[in-house]
Amino acid sequence: MAETGRLRLSATAPLGLPLRPVTALRIAIIVAVVVIWEAVSASGWLYRDVVPSLAAIGKALYATLSDPTFYFHLGTTAYEIAIAMVIGGLSGLAVGILLGGSKFMSRAYEAYLYYLGPCPKIIFFPIMIMWFGVGPGSKVAMGAISCFFPVALNVAGGMREIDKVLIRVGRSFRANTWQMVTKIYLPAMRHPVINGVRLGLGVALIGTLLAETKLSNRGIGFLVIQAYSIFNMPQMYALLIILFVIAIGANTLIGRLGGLDDIKRS
Amino acid sequence: MAAVPFERIDADAPKLAPANAILTVDDIVKRFETPDGVLTAIDHVSLSVAPGEFVGVIGPSGCGKSTLFNVIGGLLDGYDGTVKVAGERVRGPHPAIGMIFQEESTFPWRNVLDNVAFPLEIAGMPRAERYDRARHFVKLVGLDGFERRYPAELSGGMRQRVSMARTLAAQPKILLMDEPFASLDEQTRLLLGDKVLQIQQQLKQTTLLITHNITEAVQLSDRVVVMTYRPGKVKRMVEINLPRPRSSEIVSSEAFGRYVAQIWSDLREEASRGLDDEESRKLHEGEKR
Repeated sequence: MAETGRLRLSATAPLGLPLRPVTALRIAIIVAVVVIWEAVSASGWLYRDVVPSLAAIGKALYATLSDPTFYFHLGTTAYEIAIAMVIGGLSGLAVGILLGGSKFMSRAYEAYLYYLGPCPKIIFFPIMIMWFGVGPGSKVAMGAISCFFPVALNVAGGMREIDKVLIRVGRSFRANTWQMVTKIYLPAMRHPVINGVRLGLGVALIGTLLAETKLSNRGIGFLVIQAYSIFNMPQMYALLIILFVIAIGANTLIGRLGGLDDIKRS
Repeated sequence: MAAVPFERIDADAPKLAPANAILTVDDIVKRFETPDGVLTAIDHVSLSVAPGEFVGVIGPSGCGKSTLFNVIGGLLDGYDGTVKVAGERVRGPHPAIGMIFQEESTFPWRNVLDNVAFPLEIAGMPRAERYDRARHFVKLVGLDGFERRYPAELSGGMRQRVSMARTLAAQPKILLMDEPFASLDEQTRLLLGDKVLQIQQQLKQTTLLITHNITEAVQLSDRVVVMTYRPGKVKRMVEINLPRPRSSEIVSSEAFGRYVAQIWSDLREEASRGLDDEESRKLHEGEKR
């Protein structure tokens, strides 16, 4: 097995590099983007700083990360998203359980979720500003609304797909409603729930940051739009890179959480 | 338990009811509403099980075996007749009855030990005590060493043993099994039958086994109840006077063969009725389209 593995590796890496073809391609595209980026930046074809050099972005990144006010804004955004996830996630879970648990409720209300779900939530922002003010409140509301839909729909679907025999097992051992929910329904739906939370986190990030770029005086979204308005492109790109890393990190973390029992199984 | 002579008893004849029966099923009728009208799944079924007795219920597919299982287990209501455990009427799942299901029913997110400890956890038993008891039953079904494994890491036969240990851990007075080995291959089934015999011997476990497998029914039971095809009625009761302790080797004995042949001659008619019925239904569906 190891022998054939090594043979395959050397066959696909003619330079003798210990790379799998997938890894090689992944690295190749990054290298290509960096090279083109630098070429465009150095060529002077575009207006100054629209495509800043990587060195300039790196410097801005360093400056941003060593600036204490950045962490205030980062903290604000993180706080908004966390509260939004809690509110949107829990209400999504509750509604999802209600819809998934009752055919009647699902037939009555689930269609609304499908209509509202794909609707861009930013259209609610003016209303949220009126309701919750221009501060973090309206950002939390935007994140929570965004997060609610994928969680609710995934939970409802996951609940319907629970293996019915597991419910009969619980009933045969005379589990009460609370035990049924916590010991059978929720663990049986762990994959769709985690998946919903994952999608929810993605859209909560979008909702919150979008709201911050529209109207606010703090948060990462605010910093991005501020950098843009004073045409500080290196700093804007630096912030985007930071956001990128945060989003990937959060996603991986949630994925790990959901995959815990699968990892144990392998 | 009084030895009842080997004989054939018609469904209408007085019930073969042991005087000290722990489980009494009396005159159960269960009907279902279907798009094609009312379907009588089980029709005036009565049977009883004495303490320590192993009773097999055998019938063709569609004889209402699983309906009977769910009625006795208290998972299905809206039927006529009564189910009694030690004289007490059963409404809903009863602590004295432990069910083992036909389907794959282990919790994939719990390891073997936690699966087996589940009913004890539901009953509110303290942690240390329930793990002690769970460990005992894991060992009883021969899965010691696998306590920390997850169902996905086990074979189908092992998973069914986990289900068995889980139900036994609740220490039910009556074990109710619905074709627990239906999804397994013949060899695994025979070996698991050995395991069941051995456990039953050890625990003196009163058991009602529902099956469509004649070998299994004869191998394990003291008494076999043969059911008719739809509507499910009791056709015969056959006393299996094979020596205990038994093992799967008994299947090659002459007496075993005679029981199998006898039950098959009763069942054959029912099974072919079922087959004809199914074929005509398929034909009918074809015409509808």
